[in-house]
This record gives sequence, C-alpha cells and structure tokens, in this order.
Amino acid sequence: MKEFRFKIILILAAIGLSIYLLYPTYQNYTNNEKISKFVSNRQLELKDAQPNISKIELDKVEKFIEDSIKASDPNIAKTKAKSIKLGLDLQGGMRVVLEVNTGKLLEKLAKNPDDTFKKVIVEAEQETAISNESVVDIFARMMQARGIRLSRYYGSVRDEDSKIVSDLNTSAEDAVSRAMEIIRNRIDQYGVSEPTIQRQGSRRVIVELPGIAREEEAKQLLQGTALLQFNLVKDPQTTFNIMQRIDEVLAGKIDSTVDKTNKDSSITNNDSLANQQLSPEEFAKQHPFFSIALINPNSQTADAYVSEDQKDKLQLMLNRPEVKAAIPNNVEFHFSAKPFGQQDGKSIYVLYLVNKTPELTGGVITDAQATIDPSTSGAIVNMQMNSEGASDWARITGANIGKRIAIILDGAVYSAPNVINKIPSGNSQITGMANMEEAKLLEIVLKAGALPAPVSIIEERTVGPSLGEDSIRAGFKAAIIGFILVTIFMIFYYRRAGEIAAAALIFTVLFILGVLAGFGATLTLPGIAGIILTIGMAVDANVLIYERIREEVATGKTVKASVDSGFAKANSAIIDSNITTFLTGIILYQFGSGPVQGFALTLMIGIVASLFSALVIAKLIFNIMVAKGMKINLG
Amino acid sequence: MQLFNNIKIDWLGKRKIFYVLSVALFLIGVINVIFRGFNFGIDFKGGREIVLQYDNPIQISEIRNLVQNTSLGNLEVKTFGGETGVLLRTELQNLPSNLFPIVVANIEKEIDKIYPGLPRTIVDSTSSTVTYELPNHDTTTALVAKLFNAGYQAGKVSESLDNKQMVVNVGISEWIKENLRGKIADNNFIVVKEGYVGPKIGNELKQDATIAVFFSLISILVYLAFRFKFIFALGAVAALFHDVLITLGLYAALYGVIPGLNLEIDLTVVAAFLTLVGYSVNDTVIVFDRVRENLKIHKTMPLIDVLNMSVNRTMSRTLLTGGTTLLTTFVLLLFGGEVLRAFAFTLFFGIIIGTYSSIFVASALVLEYAKRKDKKFQF
Repeated sequence: MKEFRFKIILILAAIGLSIYLLYPTYQNYTNNEKISKFVSNRQLELKDAQPNISKIELDKVEKFIEDSIKASDPNIAKTKAKSIKLGLDLQGGMRVVLEVNTGKLLEKLAKNPDDTFKKVIVEAEQETAISNESVVDIFARMMQARGIRLSRYYGSVRDEDSKIVSDLNTSAEDAVSRAMEIIRNRIDQYGVSEPTIQRQGSRRVIVELPGIAREEEAKQLLQGTALLQFNLVKDPQTTFNIMQRIDEVLAGKIDSTVDKTNKDSSITNNDSLANQQLSPEEFAKQHPFFSIALINPNSQTADAYVSEDQKDKLQLMLNRPEVKAAIPNNVEFHFSAKPFGQQDGKSIYVLYLVNKTPELTGGVITDAQATIDPSTSGAIVNMQMNSEGASDWARITGANIGKRIAIILDGAVYSAPNVINKIPSGNSQITGMANMEEAKLLEIVLKAGALPAPVSIIEERTVGPSLGEDSIRAGFKAAIIGFILVTIFMIFYYRRAGEIAAAALIFTVLFILGVLAGFGATLTLPGIAGIILTIGMAVDANVLIYERIREEVATGKTVKASVDSGFAKANSAIIDSNITTFLTGIILYQFGSGPVQGFALTLMIGIVASLFSALVIAKLIFNIMVAKGMKINLG
Repeated sequence: MQLFNNIKIDWLGKRKIFYVLSVALFLIGVINVIFRGFNFGIDFKGGREIVLQYDNPIQISEIRNLVQNTSLGNLEVKTFGGETGVLLRTELQNLPSNLFPIVVANIEKEIDKIYPGLPRTIVDSTSSTVTYELPNHDTTTALVAKLFNAGYQAGKVSESLDNKQMVVNVGISEWIKENLRGKIADNNFIVVKEGYVGPKIGNELKQDATIAVFFSLISILVYLAFRFKFIFALGAVAALFHDVLITLGLYAALYGVIPGLNLEIDLTVVAAFLTLVGYSVNDTVIVFDRVRENLKIHKTMPLIDVLNMSVNRTMSRTLLTGGTTLLTTFVLLLFGGEVLRAFAFTLFFGIIIGTYSSIFVASALVLEYAKRKDKKFQF
C-alpha cells in the first residue's frame, strides 16, 4: 500500500478541503432558515396586533428585525461571506446597466453652444446609438467635417483639436466615476444589502441590487441628478441640547408604552447624563438615544458616533412624529457618507446636526482637484467657484470663522471642514484628508455638484424572488434526477467498475461545489445547468477508460496489465476532448455576462474536477483492487 | 453488459447515404431559416418583456384579447412555464406618446381615489415617468405606498426627510399591467420577471455572440491541427459547422410548433451552442484518436479500412459518452424549469446530431479529402 500513500493523502486532502469550504454554505443555509422563521413569526404577530399595517411598513420591520439579528451575531455575516453566493436570477433582484450620456455632458461643458453645436450633438448621439465609436470622437469628426475648430466651444483658442478631444474623453471618464459615487452613496442610504457596483469599459456602470422589490424607486436612485450642498454645522451646545431633548422624549415614550397603567410616568423622567452609574440595560432604557448615538465628552464637537448596525434604528427613531416635534424646524440630522472608523469590527458613522437651509449649493463650483500640499505634503482638495458663488462664499466664510461647514451630497456628509479664514476669491483649500484616496473622493463629490453625470439605463433585468425559488427547486430536482439516472446506468452497464465511476461522480460534484465556495463564485441558474451537464460529461472519461480496459482484456492480457494500459491509452483521447470543451468554456466566460459566466465557470471547474476524479481517484481504486487481488468486474 | 462490441460494418462505403441525410437536414434548416427566420429574444432584438404569474390557470387567448386594446401594435403573448404564467413582449422602447396622457389620467384617477382633491402639481415628465410635487412629506410617503400597492410603480424622489416629490413610472410594462389588472375575476397576478434591453446593447450582444462562436471554432481548429494532422482538424471543424447549422435550422423549423416549448434565441441559448461546439467535437476526437493510433499500427492498410475499423471499434464508447450526456440534458429539458428549457433543447438535439456527425460525417470528410489529394497519411 505504500506506493499509494501519496495519492491517498492527496485525495483525502482534496475531499477534506472541499467539505471545509462547503461547511459555511451549509451553516449559512441553516442560519437563514432560522432567521426567516423568526421574522415571519414576528410579522404574523404584528399583523395580528395591527391589522391595517401596510406592506411597506411590514417590509421595513422585517428588514429591521433581520438586520438586528444579523448584527447581534458577527458569525452570521462571516459564514455568509464564505458561502456560495446565489446569482440574481436565483435569489431575485435587479440588474441595471447604465451608460453615461456623453452627449448631454458635452452640451454642459461647452462654452457657448450655438445652433450648429446643438445640431451636431444630436447627430452624433444618433450615430452613437448604432456605433461603437465614442460620442466625443464622432462629435470631433463631424465638427472637423464642417471645418469648425473645437476650440470654439472648449478649452482656450490656441488648443489643438487633439488636445481638446483627449480632455473631453477624460471628462467623460470622470463622469463615470462621479456617477458611480453618486449611485453608491444613494444605494448605501437606501439600504440594499450587498449591492455590487462595477465599472464596465470606459462609459458604463453595472449595478446589481439583490432582493429589490420596488423597482421604480431603485431606478430613481440610479438616475436622478445629485444635489450637493454646503450646510453650516450647528454649534456643540445647541446640538447637545437638541439631542438631549430627543433622548428625553424617547425615554418618556418607552415608559408610557411599557406601563400603560401609570400614565404620568413619562413626566418623571428627568435623569441627567451625569448619572453614569447605571447598568448598560438601564442606561439603554433611560437614554434610548444616547445609548446608540455616542458622544465624546472630551471632544470640541457634539458629533454623535453610531455603529453601522444601529443606523437604521436611529433613523427610525428620528422619524417618529414625537421626535420630529422635538427637533427645531430649521435644523436636520445627517449621517456621514463613509465610516469614520472601526470599533469591534463594526464601522462607526458620524451623525451631524446642520442647518436645514444650505448656505450654498454645488452649482457654483467650477472645478475641484485633489493634490498634495507641497509644504505639509498632506492630501488637500482645491475648489474653485464662479464669481456669483465666490461673493456668497466670501460672506459665508467671513461670518462663520471657526465654525464648520458640512459638504453634503444627496443627504450624506462627506466632509465637515472648519472655516479658518474668510475666502474672498472662491478659491478654497480643504485640508485634513487622511490620504490621497480620501481627497480624490472629495474631489469627485465636489464635481458631482457642479457637473452632473447624466446616465441612462441601457439594460435592465428584474427577476422576482418567486421565480428565483422555482428555478432553484427545478435545478436541484433536475440535478438529483440526472445524477441518479447516470449512476444507475453506469452501475447497470459496468457493474463493479460502474460503482467506482458513481463514487468518482459524487466526488466530482463535491469538488465543483467546494471550488465555487472557495473562490467566492456566484452560482447562477445556467451554472446549475452546467453542473447537471457535467454530471453527464464526467462519466465520459470513465467510459473511455473502461472500454479500453475491456479491449485490452479481450487481447488476453492480465487484469493488472489491462488496467494499466487501459488508463494509459485512453489518456490522449480524454485530454484532447476535454481541452476543446475547456477552450469554449474560456471563450464563453470572456464574452458572456452574469448568468452565462456562471455557466462557463461551473463547466470549466467541472471539467477539471471530473478529470481528477476519473484519472486519479478511479485509477487509485482500480490499482488498490488489483494490488489486493480483488476481482474487477467490468460488466 | 456490452453493446456494439464486435461490429464490422463498412460505414464509409455507405457514406453517400449519410451525405444525403445531412444535406437533407441542412436544406430543411436553410429553407426554414429563409422562410421562417429565427425567433430572437429581447437580448438580441432589444425591447421590453414582462412575465406575469397568475394565481390560477389562465387561457392564453383570454390574455391576448385583453391586451388587444393596448394599442401597442405588435405585442407578443405566450405561455411561460405552466398554465399560470404568461410572457408579454414588445420591441417598442417607450410608451407611444398618444398613450401617455391616458396613463397619466389613470394615475390621477387613482390618486383622487386615495386622497380626493389632494393638491398636486406635475413638476417633471419624461418619456417614461411623471413626477408630482405634493403638499408635504408624510402624504407623499403614504401616497407612494398606496399607489405602489395599487400596482403602480411609484417611488419617492429622494430619501431625504423633507421630500415632497413622487415619481410614477409611465412605461410600457405599466400600461400592460394596467390593462390586465383585475380583468380576470378572482385571478390576480404578480410580476415575476421583467427585462429591458436597449437597441445598442442588443446589437452588441449579437456581435459578441457571433464572435464567440467563431472564435471557439477557430481555437478548436488550431488545437486539433496541433494535436492531429491539419486535415483531421478541418474534418472535425467541418462536422461542427454541420452540427451548429443543422441545430440552428431545427430552431427555425420548430419554434412555435411545439406548445410549451419556447424556442427563442437568447444569451443562454448562445451559451448552449458554444457548449455544443466544445462538446460535440469530443466524440470526433475519440474516433480520430483511434485513427491516429491505427494508422501507426497498420501502416499498409488502405485509409478507408483504417477509418472503418476505428469507427467500429469506438462505436460503443461514442454512443455511451454521448448517451450519458444526452440523458442529463433530457432530464434538464423535462425538469429544469422554463428558463432553461431552450438551453436544454439546444444541447439535447445538438448532441444527437453531434454524435451522428462524429461517427458518420467527420471521418467521411477526411476520406474525401485524402481521395482527392491521393495522399497517404502518416503520423
């Protein structure tokens, strides 16, 4: 047996690894079962208690309960990240391909668009609908054909056409980054779990939103124009006072619902924050707001820090009518767009209280650049404004030295820099960015206010969750039936050798799923089809080998010799035929999108896995049987 | 158990029969392609499609009658899955402008039903949406929810807490849904699938698909030419063309003929064709591998005999390997669900034709070529 030791170890390791990689998928499945059972029970309770509750309210509650269960146990998120992901066609959801509308952008960028310009833009847009050339190139060509220099509309008079074209192309690409940031910001605020936003080529953005039920709302998120505003951050004392009032209102509310018999209990609650000697539970009960929105007492500001899993809860609190009544009309709360830092593995967001009326909106910004400050070598952002904005800006900055101004895009705060001095020209410098990446992000955000990134939907696919579930069920049914039929056939036709092939087939499927989980790949419906197809194709290698062994036995060779030469001689045909299928798999992966890529992936993994099962596992079993002198029955 | 074990049939002597059969199949396909054309899905044609799932079985003719008065012209209606599913499709990109005011009027009616006399102004309207401004945030949120429950695609313009604007979709799918909602007594539907493909994407996908099929044929040709003699590679690829073209012809011939089988060419079907290209060459390789081996052993034997011997000796394994895969595609065809049906169909028939061509066409083409050139093969 010594000669086989290495192979046995190799095979056991492969099997062990696959099981190890698949375990989180199993765990995730049981977790989801538990959560959905719990949530649906709670929903039924709620429906009983409030029969008039709307579907949207229910969905909100469902999402909230789900999120809080998930947040309470970090392992749930961990196993989910490690398990096989389901494609949009299986779990339901929406996939949208957006393209930056370069024509609109060109119009926006032009200095003094006249009628000729507008005519050419329309023609260029019409042509681009059927051509692969970029709008900028078509536009430039059309202008040249008319003998008009591009410098009439863009850049300065001395600029060559080629320079302007390359500048415009850069602007178009910038617009994609802006559109992506705008979309990401909105989707984050909207609260879609696990969205993916990726760039495709130079002008397109692919957005995938799993489990979206309200299509129109989602589309609106993707297409609307971004709103950039500069709002004054309220001073710490006012902020703290308002927060304290909210806290008291919330605490009173909780008391009155818990204990309905004691009607005046809500008035008696006037503990101050100084009373810190409470247990965490008591503190949470008495200070519902401050228990999740943490204030740093040593800080100069009254910004509250909220961990990511509590954001929704806080938003719900702030939306309650009695809380709204406690907040003055001229101020509002906004979260930071990006986490401020990490604590206990959770991202921490900042909650700002700002003036409701913006001091300025983003339309006045003419340009922004992220650079390195030569004197401090820190990352900074330079921002320029038009003359109208600059004079307002001078007044605003002059009146608010030492205060902070929040830069808010679509309701999320990207930065809240201190005003250091009066800025007369509109040319402002924003410092304090941790790195160039952060500065680059702020540049994108500032430009988003000035230059919209018009996008249009060019492809959209929505699959309802019920169709996804049906597809999974049908796929699994087909896979199991296919597996059973192939196994029965192999055992019927090749007897003992067929049993070996059946065992190898089980391992093939195990390896495919293990590799999918290991790579964090996405399983799509065509992907399931790929696995089913692989079940049929995997035994091909076994058939080729067995037929060859039969031939060898027929020539009068010993069993051992027949097995050896059977495997050796079948090799070339097996390898050649599988490589051709693998080649088409690669091409399919390259050209396909989403679901089709999932198919190509399972097909390729399936080929490799089935070769391993047939050429290593099955061969080893044969060799061991021969070595032990067992009878090999090929039917 | 052993089948086809010791057959000695002169297949290549009868190759004329197979030529006639292949040409006949091919011609049937070509005629159908010319006169019936293909049935492309929206992936390639562009347009909108919407799949509805009813609570109870429906008559497709009933749905057809109901959508007659949508004035959408060429609206396709077919079953999807079982008796409760219906797929509607149009090549139109946007709602025709003459229908727009009708839909907006319906939305107005619905709003008046929910909040009679609610003051509102239309602040924006595009080719597919209309945006309302309402008196306050809470009414807006409530109205969005109620309109949504009433089946309209309504949404808030922003999530901000002082948002007073609401956008309602006035698209083709909304118009279709509106014409069907509540029209069949005690039988409601939900939307299970929706798709939109712009005209540009459609063209791009078509181009990509053609390039991909072409590329895979070339790469197989190159690989086989490297592993075998060039003429064998050519024979194998010619057989592949044969398989793909006949299966395509079958598509043109059969769509709409078999009830419940929705044969339209979409992305997954192209994936099936590519897989067919990769897989159906397998059997050819098995035969040629044996030819290669036999040419080395029997150096003096005439080529036709070598080919016949190789085909006969590999017959059982060719049929078995094709057979097991055919078995799983058949299972997929029966149980794999509606979305995969056309995919499974392509592979099912493709593999049958591919196995046939591997045995009878590929080697025959090699023989024809050798006869013409009067060359002797050596490995």
